[in-house]
Amino acid sequence: MHAGHVISGAGHIGLIGWLLFGGAFQAEPLPFQATDISVISTEDYEALVAAQQAPQSGTEVAQPEAPAAEDSAATPPPAETEVTPPPPPQSTEAPEPETVPEVPQPTPPVAVVEDSPPEQPSPPADVAVLVPQVSNRPVPRPSERVAPEPVAPPPPEAQLAPVEQEAVAPAETGETVQEPQEAAAPEEAATEIVTEAEQPSSAPNASPRPPARPTPPVRTAVAEPAPTPDPAPEPAPETPPASSSSTQDAVDAALAEALGGATSDPEPAAPTGPPLSAGEKDALRVAVSSCWNVGSLSSDALRTTVVVSVSMTPDARPVTSSIRMTGSSGGSDGAAAQAFEAARRAIIRCGASGYNLPSEKYGQWQEIEMTFNPERMRIK
Amino acid sequence: MIWRILVCMMAVLAWTAPIAQAQDGPLRIEITEGVIEPLPFAVPAFVPETGDSAQMGQQLAQLVAADLIGTGLFREVPASAFISGVNDFNAPIQYADWKAVNAQALITGAVAVSGDQMTVKFRVYDVFSGAELGSGLQFAGTTSGWRRMGHKVADAVYSRITGESGYFDSRVVFVSETGGKADRQKRLAVMDYDGANVQYLTGSESIVLAPRFSKSGDRVLYTSYETGFPRIFVLDVGSVQRRVLESQDGTMSFAPRFHPNGQTVVYSLSQGANTDIYTMDINSGQASRLTSAPSIETAPSYSPDGSQIVFESDRSGTQQLYVMSANGGEPTRISFGEGRYGTPVWSPRGDLVAFTKQSSGRFHIGVMRLDGSEERLLTASFLDEGPTWAPNGRVIMFTRETQGESGRSTLYSVDITGRNLRPVRTPEGASDPSWGPLQN
Repeated sequence: MHAGHVISGAGHIGLIGWLLFGGAFQAEPLPFQATDISVISTEDYEALVAAQQAPQSGTEVAQPEAPAAEDSAATPPPAETEVTPPPPPQSTEAPEPETVPEVPQPTPPVAVVEDSPPEQPSPPADVAVLVPQVSNRPVPRPSERVAPEPVAPPPPEAQLAPVEQEAVAPAETGETVQEPQEAAAPEEAATEIVTEAEQPSSAPNASPRPPARPTPPVRTAVAEPAPTPDPAPEPAPETPPASSSSTQDAVDAALAEALGGATSDPEPAAPTGPPLSAGEKDALRVAVSSCWNVGSLSSDALRTTVVVSVSMTPDARPVTSSIRMTGSSGGSDGAAAQAFEAARRAIIRCGASGYNLPSEKYGQWQEIEMTFNPERMRIK
Repeated sequence: MIWRILVCMMAVLAWTAPIAQAQDGPLRIEITEGVIEPLPFAVPAFVPETGDSAQMGQQLAQLVAADLIGTGLFREVPASAFISGVNDFNAPIQYADWKAVNAQALITGAVAVSGDQMTVKFRVYDVFSGAELGSGLQFAGTTSGWRRMGHKVADAVYSRITGESGYFDSRVVFVSETGGKADRQKRLAVMDYDGANVQYLTGSESIVLAPRFSKSGDRVLYTSYETGFPRIFVLDVGSVQRRVLESQDGTMSFAPRFHPNGQTVVYSLSQGANTDIYTMDINSGQASRLTSAPSIETAPSYSPDGSQIVFESDRSGTQQLYVMSANGGEPTRISFGEGRYGTPVWSPRGDLVAFTKQSSGRFHIGVMRLDGSEERLLTASFLDEGPTWAPNGRVIMFTRETQGESGRSTLYSVDITGRNLRPVRTPEGASDPSWGPLQN
């Protein structure tokens, strides 16, 4: 970012300098056209004006004077003279008459008249398709391969091989040395071919009313899962009930993971989507500031700047367990701890109902790093 | 050529601009503006663990609440707003109920009374974090000392929330005043920081001035006119035994303060028209002179480490504040504002000096840094004087005297930020407070 500023500054300075001293603003005479004018006297002008005056309406129209029989001033137009056409060229030898090609006479079509009118193509009749109320969940299409015995679909990570074999990983402490190999399974096969025509139609009988528009998508960059013919989902193994906070965190994590953002990733992916605007950042800043109460902080804590990171749920609520201090400066450890507590209270309090953040930019604010600098709050 | 350079620059700018705007890592924002408002807390009545301790539990909760509210940093959520109470000290906390009433801190306690003995235990919770602040503590003592135990609970709560030590379990020695200005009687008294438990240390036969606690709080230095001239006495608070310090005849000694080591006293001694600063070893009575200017130097106060002394002097023509080594030497002036500065007191933290300032016909209590910077006037009235620091260096107590013949001296306290100015309730008029340390 610093290099960008330097390059930007250099570019602007160079541009301004060029504009000022490079001759961009040097004035050059514009092309012009000179027009000769003549000075006339007042009498001439009045005469001209009088001649160009609009005709006044009158009842009598003066008859034009008859032209003089002989007007020496008027030169009669020259009389028209007939133009003699050029003589036709005379050929020295008469050309032989060319043979006229035979032109096939077109045969006029013979109209066939029938008494019965031609049949008009009738438009296809509208057919109402009955669709089920609810679209059936697509079932996995059976394999078209034919085998004496059906073969289950191979595991997703297994390679296709004629013989099934299990994956073997190099043992860390095993005594027997076995070469690592990847899992393999025979290709999925069925005993008979089942065509689509034989399949029960899963087309809906009726178009269900579209549901209400869901909440805005959380991550636009993540593609929707394709409706691949996955096998029926197995019931998730039951886990022992945990505390409410851990359950909430697990739900949040699962939700975030389902929506494409794994909150538990050790290295979160780079932010995706459009960046937050300055106004959106300011709104978040103002929201947190309104809950950042430094009134109960010690003088030492008021000299301590803390950097706090927090993970956010897609509904813009802070994950309480994720709030942690990533850095501090200006005070003792105890002061930093107090300043962090005040910052954490601010994040939790004002984020209890969710911050006003654009959900379509969740990738940008999934992880937030807030710097709480109380410098301006010391003497107030 | 110019066009070529320009095009290149534009291309570079177009390439670097998105890089500069791109966000790398988490979203980063900086919060520089917050709010300063009392932190709401809830303190239900302490759970009685014995049959006759219910009233004590109620009183303890009220005392803790009063201590915290008195700081101006906290605000109590009234009990009428509670959704759920605390009937079992060890029961899990219903954080949602306390969040609903916006209690950010919750203090629970229990008390058990057995004869004249009692035990008090408590816990502090950060409601919005859903966690306990620190660990539970328990105090044991006599029922007559229940206020001290309540103050200790409040000190612990204050410390855990603010990060600095409290000052509730401390005492203040002061001059109790009765009568009008013409025939005012003064005597030394000591009280809890909140004005309770007043005990008188001297009679009212003679005028007493400027009592000063030692660092340990076991002794008090003060000036008395018992002999006709102002003399410095040292009084043992426990036994109320006192003795006069050595002094030369024909001199006046006053404005004493203890060195942090408790063995040396710094004071002013007037001889003729000159007043200078001296130190004296309490045990041997050996004195040494620190200043020798022809001006008036008085009101000395040690730095917390005892290496420096701040005092007032009019050597520049007006009354200003100076700092010098504890062994004397050339002082450095630290006050340069308009008006007159006096009665400087070094903060227990060592970073500020409190003082009395007279300017434009009004008196102020103020603070400044040791280099004279960041001077802040905290009060303004007809007469404010004699500041003294709370043990944690966060609060200043001082004397405010009203105008007129019926004017009365009262003690006030104020936060060093200038907020939370409030009177200290004393049974009689009071002046010259000296705040002692936290009691053990």
